[in-house]
Amino acid sequence: MSAAAASSSGTERLYWLMLLAPCVFLALFYLAPVLNVLVLSFTVPRPGVANYAELVNNAAVQRVLWTTVRIGAITTVLALLIGYVVAYALLHCGPRERRILLGIVVASFWISALIRAFAWVALLQSRGLVNALLISAGVIDSPLSLVRNEFGVVVGMVHYMLPYAILPLYTSLRGIDDRLVPAARALGATPSQAFRWVFLPLSLPGLIGAGVIVMIFSLGFYITPAILGGGRTIMVAEFISVQISETLRWGLAAMLATVLLGTVLLLVMWLSRFMDVEQALRK
Amino acid sequence: MTREHQEFREDCLAILREQTQGKRVHRRHFLQALAMLGAIPAGLRLTPAHAAAGEIVIVNWGGDAVPAYDAIWAQPFNGANPGAKAIINGSGPSSGKIKAMVESGAVTWDVCDRTVPASIELGRQSLLEKVDWSIVAEDKLRPAHRSDWGVGAYLYSFVLTYDARALRGPAPKNWKDFWNVKDFPGKRTLRNNIEGMLEAALLADGVSRDKIYPIDVDRALAKIKEIKAHTIFWTTGAESQQLFRNQEVVMGNLWHTRSMLLAKEVGDHIKFTFEDGVLFPGAWIVPKGNPAKARAWQFVASAQDPKSQVELFKRVGNGPVNPAAAAMVPAEMKALDCGSPENFARQVAVDNEWYAEHYAAILARYLDAISS
Repeated sequence: MSAAAASSSGTERLYWLMLLAPCVFLALFYLAPVLNVLVLSFTVPRPGVANYAELVNNAAVQRVLWTTVRIGAITTVLALLIGYVVAYALLHCGPRERRILLGIVVASFWISALIRAFAWVALLQSRGLVNALLISAGVIDSPLSLVRNEFGVVVGMVHYMLPYAILPLYTSLRGIDDRLVPAARALGATPSQAFRWVFLPLSLPGLIGAGVIVMIFSLGFYITPAILGGGRTIMVAEFISVQISETLRWGLAAMLATVLLGTVLLLVMWLSRFMDVEQALRK
Repeated sequence: MTREHQEFREDCLAILREQTQGKRVHRRHFLQALAMLGAIPAGLRLTPAHAAAGEIVIVNWGGDAVPAYDAIWAQPFNGANPGAKAIINGSGPSSGKIKAMVESGAVTWDVCDRTVPASIELGRQSLLEKVDWSIVAEDKLRPAHRSDWGVGAYLYSFVLTYDARALRGPAPKNWKDFWNVKDFPGKRTLRNNIEGMLEAALLADGVSRDKIYPIDVDRALAKIKEIKAHTIFWTTGAESQQLFRNQEVVMGNLWHTRSMLLAKEVGDHIKFTFEDGVLFPGAWIVPKGNPAKARAWQFVASAQDPKSQVELFKRVGNGPVNPAAAAMVPAEMKALDCGSPENFARQVAVDNEWYAEHYAAILARYLDAISS
């Protein structure tokens, strides 16, 4: 009995040690640099909160942040709408179709953001496939501006974010008791009433969770807006890179990075109210 | 463009990492972490990065310039200096990377391919070595093509480039035509950077070539905003080419080297003019505390050879900066030499001092103007 207890505590200690190594690694190579960025934002070019005053005083900084939030929000809403439809279809189709559909969703993870952005340029540019089809079909006379603008950025970002919306939504919808909707129907609800009053409210935590994930990713987008935005859609990640690489205003860049990180942390804390992180990890 | 973008993002991470970690502490902790992980294989030694003896690392912006610099400058230099090993590295010597290297005390680059304005801007921040004029020849450069920290390497120009086939009608002659969206309909492209763009805007607004500097920024930005809705802003040279290749634009303000490549690659309906071009001197700079020390300047001095500069011109289009080179340019190529006396007279020569002083602040305003 005592021997068994000793060996189990030894195993436990081993587990703790195994856990310790990655924690130390993260602390050194992730936490410490991140903290240093925080420090930089208060010390460069001179000690004080001058960098944070730019949030109030600098119209350019405000515009960049506003663009980032606006595009992030639009992307999130669209990704959730489309993602919900796909997740709902995944839930109700046959097992063979589900495998194929899930395969398609997961496969898009394998294509890099860069290739996708260029593919969208090829499709949407004035002489691209979409405009050529519309013109030859007689729908429009002159090509539409579908890319190198904010519209193109949103298309590219929604496309990139869809798997991140679909997969958590699908997991969440699958957890809803599938007898509840038939029960509502049996009690006289129309299909749309059963959906609106029973299914949709039950899926709300999943929607919020997926929405927060998509929003967090969207805030840090760099490549997609840089390529699809035609230089006129500048989001915070690109602005930071200009400040670091070109103008050497590292204090300003560190401040923006800190603001971005703080926003994401707040969103994650909010997310943890709607999603059981532990359970999600177990899956 | 793809690689440049990717690298750019990696760069930023690398820069932050370098800036935020003292090298020695970093290494000790790293060793401790490795030890904890039990991951130190026998014989693995972490030594600070340092150049091998005789190595001189020359950093430019990649692409065709890497093999060209290697064949024209590095190999002849190595041949003439036994024991020397000049290497061309195309990873892009951005200001951010140079600052990160110098401030962390881990400089691995010897010579960087930048501009005279940047040499002054970075030199004043104590990030560069002063030019050793006892090794580099001052008299092989016009005064505007050198600074205390930079040695003119070649000339390049921002030029009006257009697709004659897509425009159909008469050819645009100057920036006034470029800004005229009624008679010259179609998308244009400008760079998402102020160099050469603010000057073009002022020329379009009727400012004469000799009155450009100091730049009236408000006026220039107002002019840029006029055609913003018709403009795609390019980031990398490759992107500017791609816009013409895909016929996404009919006109652009491009590096003349890219315009030459386009004419060669897409066809001679892609034309450009040096009229009202904005001429920049590319410059060699040396980061402070570079590993090869003064031998870096020996390489720079060797690149002053006019014959080698003409070779580079023939190969990638960069204009020779040594005045003695003009006579060696073949007659049939003289029209393409952005530094020839005829072309020089038609262009705006950049004011190095203005850029050194205002670049950072005005770039931020420009980005705000084009994204608002």
